Amino acid sequence: MKSESEALFVKQLKENQNIIHKICRLYTTDADAHKDLFQEITIQLWKAFPNFRGDSKFTTWAYRVGLNTAITLYRKKKRTIDTIEFDSTFHKVTQDDYNFEEEEKLKLLYSAISELNDIEKALVFLYLEDKDYTEISETLGISEVNARVKMNRVKGKLKKILNP
Amino acid sequence: MDELEILKKDWKKNENAFDQVTEKEIYGMLHKRSSSIVKWILIISILEFLFLRLLDLSIFLDDEYSNRMKEHHIYDFEKFVTIFNFVVLLVFIYYFYRNLKAINSSSSVKKLMQDIINTRKIVKYYVWYNLVLVGITSAIVIYSQFMYDKNINHLYDKYQLFFILGGFFFVIIILLLFWLFYRLLYGILLRRLQKNYNELQKIDF
Repeated sequence: MKSESEALFVKQLKENQNIIHKICRLYTTDADAHKDLFQEITIQLWKAFPNFRGDSKFTTWAYRVGLNTAITLYRKKKRTIDTIEFDSTFHKVTQDDYNFEEEEKLKLLYSAISELNDIEKALVFLYLEDKDYTEISETLGISEVNARVKMNRVKGKLKKILNP
Repeated sequence: MDELEILKKDWKKNENAFDQVTEKEIYGMLHKRSSSIVKWILIISILEFLFLRLLDLSIFLDDEYSNRMKEHHIYDFEKFVTIFNFVVLLVFIYYFYRNLKAINSSSSVKKLMQDIINTRKIVKYYVWYNLVLVGITSAIVIYSQFMYDKNINHLYDKYQLFFILGGFFFVIIILLLFWLFYRLLYGILLRRLQKNYNELQKIDF
């Protein structure tokens, strides 16, 4: 029985692992930290799996648990991983669509994001994932209005960081 | 264009650029709880070290007890054993620490299994070492008591066999108590490690 649910969990996690990779990408700046966070989220998901009854989608649930893990872990280790350096080798770009100006802008954007706080990062992440405000508010456990207000603030903050 | 839109474009472009984790690797991650067991082994061994070695030292700081050891001609022996034990236990603790590091950084199921085997082996050596040392020192201490304690040695000369048998059982009882102590402290952790190992084995084949 136990190993059956384990097999189900592993299968679903493997299929949806990009969600976790993307969370790691936003919350970490190098490959090692990425791996660590990935592992931590996997363990937290597995611990929470008995409470996942399938009334929400695995992906929605994974977003919630994954972000919560990243946020709490980030809070705990704030001082050690609070770095604005963006590892460009980690950020894969093919040679053809290499555009210097855009690349520079992206670099700045990513480093600007690393300066945001943990909740703001979660907002950006869900925005990049094309989630609407209903889903954002559900995932983060805040009201829809609050999510909109916060999102606007983040946009303003990013603009300010990019154009000081 | 909105900054976030630029970012979104890039985000989508790289959506599938991540190195994919295999099922086996995920199973491995789920069984990382081995590392928390090994962490407890390290913590308990350090606490045990602090507590028992302080007891050792207190014996030497106690003048009355020190004099008695000198009378019984075991003072130098006790001093040697205490220092020797101190060094050996520190080496064991270092190995427990190394095991923890190894398990934390092991990335494959096979390596994790190997690390678990190593940890179990070292804990077993540790327990055996402690039991042997306790056996030898308590036997020597009891024997010296029989030989040099003024209240006992004349009786010992008369009832030698009785005393030797009594001493023998006393050592056995002490060993049994220590064995129970270690079984309680480390036995549970070792069994958990073994369980984890068995589950890993199912994954690997």
